[in-house]
Amino acid sequence: MALREITLRINDREYRGRAETRKTLADFIREDCALTGTHLGCEHGVCGACTILMNGEAVRSCLLFAVQAEGADLRTVEGLADGEHLHPIQQAFWESHALQCGFCTPGFLMTTLAFLRENPHPTDREIREALAGNLCRCTGYQNIVTAVAAAAEANLSQGWKVPEAKEVRREIRAGDSRDRRTQRAGIAKTKKRRTQRR
Amino acid sequence: MKPAPFEYFAPRSVGEAVHLLAEHGTEAKVLAGGQSLVPLMNMRLARPSVIVDINRIPGLDYITPGPMLRIGALCRQRTAEKSAEVGARCPLLRDALRLVGHTQIRNRGTVGGSIAHADPAAELTAVLAALGGEVMVQGPKGARAIAASDFFVTYLTTSLASDELLTEVRFPAPPPGAGWSWMEIARRHGDFALVGVGAVLALRDGVIAEARIALTGVGPTPVRAQDAERLLVGQAPSEGLWEEAGAAVRASLEPDGDIHASPEYRTHVAAVLTCRALREALTRVREAS
Amino acid sequence: MKLEGTNTLPASVNTVWKTINDPEALRRCTPGLKELKEVAPDTYEARLEIGVAAVKGAYTGRLAITDKRPPTHYIITLEGSGGPGFMKGQGTVDLEREGDATLVRWVGDIQIGGLIAGVGQRMIGGIGKMLIGQFFKCLEQTLGGAAPAGGGGPRAGGDAAGSGEVG
Repeated sequence: MALREITLRINDREYRGRAETRKTLADFIREDCALTGTHLGCEHGVCGACTILMNGEAVRSCLLFAVQAEGADLRTVEGLADGEHLHPIQQAFWESHALQCGFCTPGFLMTTLAFLRENPHPTDREIREALAGNLCRCTGYQNIVTAVAAAAEANLSQGWKVPEAKEVRREIRAGDSRDRRTQRAGIAKTKKRRTQRR
Repeated sequence: MKPAPFEYFAPRSVGEAVHLLAEHGTEAKVLAGGQSLVPLMNMRLARPSVIVDINRIPGLDYITPGPMLRIGALCRQRTAEKSAEVGARCPLLRDALRLVGHTQIRNRGTVGGSIAHADPAAELTAVLAALGGEVMVQGPKGARAIAASDFFVTYLTTSLASDELLTEVRFPAPPPGAGWSWMEIARRHGDFALVGVGAVLALRDGVIAEARIALTGVGPTPVRAQDAERLLVGQAPSEGLWEEAGAAVRASLEPDGDIHASPEYRTHVAAVLTCRALREALTRVREAS
Repeated sequence: MKLEGTNTLPASVNTVWKTINDPEALRRCTPGLKELKEVAPDTYEARLEIGVAAVKGAYTGRLAITDKRPPTHYIITLEGSGGPGFMKGQGTVDLEREGDATLVRWVGDIQIGGLIAGVGQRMIGGIGKMLIGQFFKCLEQTLGGAAPAGGGGPRAGGDAAGSGEVG
């Protein structure tokens, strides 16, 4: 089938690619835009791992064709953090241990973002209902609910909007076990050791 | 899990869309919300060779109040759910909409698309049947209205011809002072209903003047419980009457079983939900007066 | 999945027996059957395109008739596989005279697997019954044109409405 030129606006940047009309938005985002934070769990609209924001609304990117998203304002999980600074929702997920393997997390983050914008003071029940369209196989959901409640609290106390206040974040210190660079160095060291043993 | 190749068109008018459907016939499928069609395509259970994407057609996403609430084909389920007009004039529709899938589905899914897709366990088709609504469709020879009772043929099949486009769904407003209720049982929040019941009750001088009951999940199309409705009209409301109506519903159904629910379970739940829905509808009648 | 039902066909037992063994009638009345090629006595290779609305699939397989006890009993087996999944159905068919008409009792045991069985689970039973219903409706129309054995007498009425239950 003929390839079509597709231009998308994602996280305030323009991405251009060529794809068949049957290419889903999720696949285009992942392959043509190299934004692999959006995940594919089921490809039939049930698991929510592919959830992104389209014109501010949470949608299943696996159920849209890339051509359909032309002209829309898209936001993926890559558009949450501000450089090194986590978005308050990401922060809350981290602090509440709301992710284990992390596969479902981007979908939950985007759903939560849209949800809290619309309902900044949700009850526990409202949170659970809002998250019902995202499946997680690791956590058992409790920590995710806690994280969303915590993010809502952060909203109340800090008054964040998206793009949000920069005060709410944890400083990443060198040598900190949470320090990405240290972790990566640690992994590289282990790999090197393993290869040498062979 | 990728769809088979197709030719893609994004017409900018209803006329253009109808022209495309007429040209390609059964090889073409209309793409509106895509929340039912695209999963089928991703799994290659449906392989239309032509897709007519109607999302670029302006002027189809309206909600117009009146003696019939008129909802354009591209009105998103979420828009209808949050609409003050729908809440005020057709609260049964609003209550049912809240249980259609999840927010993410409703952000794209359309009211018209759900009706045209005619899933046997859909909520909106039962609401249309309960209220005795109709759909407007546009074909090469012009527009026509199709009543709900003539629209749903069987599983996923409606009386839409392959060259016709559904353009509007019309929900009659219930009589003033009427009570309503949507009751549904599903395994998980957002699932298709195992059984769903929509009920509308209007009283006059203490007796039931009008009763509407429709069920989903109990047959190939939404089912109007006409035996139960006839039983109710002219009677004074009572617990015993609700149970009689529930029994009438149970007696009239012959649902299929599957791994989700046996036929016996469905008929039992249908009777129970009918009772509960009528009870809640009556409460709302009393609240309204 | 077990399905069963009864249908009344407006013809004598002998005529019905001949029809349900006739590959032409089977080809015409089996929903979605595109090709039926005899490869051995009472054994055919089949090609089907079957589905509901937009959900359609192509299947290839085999149809066989066994345990023939003319003119009242046989077992018909249809199995096929294709992209959307596979199915294997075995139907036991018994004919009974009912006046000038024939009562057909069928009991089917159907296994369906693959994608269509998983995704379509909540509709498969009903759609299966619907397709079997189409089969008998077509047979009824076929037989409606056939004169009853002996000719001349009034044609039996009898509606071909079926009743089916899933066990």
